[in-house]
Amino acid sequence: MNPLSLDQPWGRGYRPTHTHAFADGSQLPSTPFLPRGLGRSYGDVCLNDGGTLLHNFRRDRLLAFDHARGVLRCESGATLADIAQTLLPRGWFLPVVPGTRFVTVGGALANDVHGKNHHVAGSFGRFVESLSLMRSDVSSSLTLSGDDTLYSATIGGLGLTGLILEASLRLKAVPGPGIEQEVRLFGGERGAGGIADYLALDAESKTWEYTVGWIDTLDRNLRGVFFRGRHCEGPDEWLVPQPTRLMLPIDAPQWVLGRCSARAFNALYYRLHSIKTAQRSVIPIWPFFFPLDAVNGWNRAYGRRGFIQYQFVVPTVGARETIPRILAHLREAGVASYLAVIKTFGDLPSPGWLSFPMAGTTVALDVPAPGSDDRRALDEADAMVADAGGRVYPAKDARMSPAMFRRFFPRWHELEAARDPLISSSFWRRVTGDLKA
Amino acid sequence: MSQSQAAPLTAPRDVVVVGATSAVAQAAIRHWAHQRARLVLVGRNRDALERVAADARLRGAASVDTQVGDLADTAFIETVCAIASPTIALIAHGSLSDSARSEASAQYLEYELTLNFVSAAQWVQQLALACERAGGGTVVAISSVAGDRGRGSNHVYGAAKAGLSAFCSGLRARMATRGVHIMTVLPGFIDSPMTAHIANKGALWTTPETIAQGIIRAITRQRDVVYLPGFWRLIMLIIKHVPERIFKRLKF
Repeated sequence: MNPLSLDQPWGRGYRPTHTHAFADGSQLPSTPFLPRGLGRSYGDVCLNDGGTLLHNFRRDRLLAFDHARGVLRCESGATLADIAQTLLPRGWFLPVVPGTRFVTVGGALANDVHGKNHHVAGSFGRFVESLSLMRSDVSSSLTLSGDDTLYSATIGGLGLTGLILEASLRLKAVPGPGIEQEVRLFGGERGAGGIADYLALDAESKTWEYTVGWIDTLDRNLRGVFFRGRHCEGPDEWLVPQPTRLMLPIDAPQWVLGRCSARAFNALYYRLHSIKTAQRSVIPIWPFFFPLDAVNGWNRAYGRRGFIQYQFVVPTVGARETIPRILAHLREAGVASYLAVIKTFGDLPSPGWLSFPMAGTTVALDVPAPGSDDRRALDEADAMVADAGGRVYPAKDARMSPAMFRRFFPRWHELEAARDPLISSSFWRRVTGDLKA
Repeated sequence: MSQSQAAPLTAPRDVVVVGATSAVAQAAIRHWAHQRARLVLVGRNRDALERVAADARLRGAASVDTQVGDLADTAFIETVCAIASPTIALIAHGSLSDSARSEASAQYLEYELTLNFVSAAQWVQQLALACERAGGGTVVAISSVAGDRGRGSNHVYGAAKAGLSAFCSGLRARMATRGVHIMTVLPGFIDSPMTAHIANKGALWTTPETIAQGIIRAITRQRDVVYLPGFWRLIMLIIKHVPERIFKRLKF
C-alpha cells in the first residue's frame, strides 16, 4: 500500500525538504538517507529534512510461512494489515499489534512497537527471530538474530542502523477472527478515584490477553472506560476487515479543535459507553485493535497545523501518584486532549537498546497544534516523567529536549556508535546534535 | 477454520503473466493468487521473480511456475507459449525509453523498440494462439496513452506503444471469431519504480494497485480498449485533436 504522504509524518504540520528514493533491496543511496515505511510515526523520527528518504513500502512481499512453527519470513515493507489478512483465514495473527495495522514490519521493528497485550507478550521486537540488514559500510547484507549486538541496536533503533531488508516473525495461533470483549467504566461519580479504579480493574484483568483504558484527562477525577478482550471464534465474514469507506478528504478548520470541543467529545464518548456498558460482547478482530483505521486519513481531523502525540511511561512503583500529578499539571496548563489512552505494561524485557516499553503504566494523549504554552507544559511534564524514572516515546515525539532524551535513553550513545554513517533523521539530529560536540 | 473465500465460478483457472515483476503485474497477480489461480510468471530477473512467486504462493495461488529468460528472445517466447494453456494472459513488461539517449545511440533505439513493441507483439500473438488451443480466453496487453500520439519528450516509447495498440486492434479482429478476446489497456501516469526518477507527481498520477483493479474489472466486462483511469480517454481525445502545427511546438 501507499503512504498518505511521502513527506509528512502522521502528526503533520512540518515543512521538510526531502529527496525521494525507493529501496530496491540491492543498492543504497550514496548520499545521507533515512529508511522509511508508511510514515505512521507521529513526529520527526520518519523525517530527514534536507536529505533523502529511502521509501521501503514497495518491498512488501511475503516470502515463506512455516506452518509448523508459525514463522513468517517477509520483506520489511510488508504491512501488518497484509500479513493479518493473508494469514488470519489460516488461523494465525500477529503476536503484537499497535493501534493501526497500516504500518510496515520494518517500521514496527525500528520503533519496537507495543500493543494491548504488552502485559503478557512484551513488545513487537520479542517476536523477531531474525532480520537482515543492509549497511552502507558493509558490502553484503547481514543476517542478525538475538545474540548479535546489531540486532539489539536495530530493534527500537529508529531505522538508524541500516536498511532492514527482511524479517522472520513468530506469529500466534488464534481460534478465529472474533474478540470476546468486556467494557467497564472507571472513575466518574461512583469510584474512589479514576487512577485507583483503573489500576484495580487492570490488576483483576491479568488473565485477559488484551487490556487498555481510555481516560478523560480533562476530568478532575480521571474517569474513563476500560476494555479487555481475548481471541475467540467468529463467523467467516469477519476474516476480512470492512473496507475503509470513510475518508477525510479535507483538513478540518482550526476552531473544531479547541478545548471546548475536546471537553464535549470526551463527555459524549464516556456517556456512550455508560449506556452500552455491555458486560460481554463478541466483536470482529479489526475494530477491536484498529478502531481508527476505519477512517482513512483521520489525522486530517486535526487541521493543517497537525497535532502531536505525547506518550510517556512511568514505573509501576509510584504510578498511582505520578500519573494523576502529570495529568493534573497538563490539565491546569490548558493542554486539551481527546481520547487519551492508558495501558499498564508487563515486565517482559524489550530487546532493543532504545525500546520504549518498560514495566509500568503508560499514557498517550493527542495535543492539537501545540502552542508555546503547551510546549512549555510538556517540557515540565518531561521532567516529572524523568524524575519518576520513566521515559517518553520517540516514535510519537516531536519536541523532547536533548537533555531529556539522554535521561530517558541512557544507551543512546551506543546506538550512535552502531548507526550507519550515511543514515540520520531529523529526530536524531534534534536530540543528539548538541550533545556530540 | 474453513477457508472463507471460495473461488467464484468466473475465477480464472490458468493465468500467464509476462513481465511479472512490474508493479502493475504484481498487483494483478495478488488478485489472481487470492482467487486460487494457477500462475505462470515470466520475467528476466530470477531473484525478483522468485520473490513475486513466493508472495503469490503465500496468498493462495493453487500453483506458481516461473520462467526466467530474455523477454525479447523469440525462442524463449515460443518455448514458454508452447506449453502454456492460459485462460487469461497479461503482457506487462516494458521500459520507459529515454528519448535523448535514443538520439545518441542507434543500438539503444533499436533495443527499446524491440522490447516495447516487437517482443510485446510476439507475446500477444503467441499467447493468443495458446489461449485458442486451450479453448478460449482473454489476452491483456498493457500499452500506454503515450501511444495515442507521439510526443517530443517520449517519441520512442510512444511509437512502440502506438505499434502495440495497432497490433492488438488488428489481432482482436482476427481472433474475434476464434474464442479469444484481446484487450488493450492504456494506463496514464503510474507511480511505480519505472517512473521513480520523476520528482513532482501531480493529480494525474495513479498507483499500480488502482490500475490493476481497473484491469481485473475490464476483464470481467470484456472491454476492448480501456483507458485507466477512465478520465484519460477524454484527455487523449483532446490531445489527439490538437493540430500538428501547434502540437509540434508544445513542450511535453
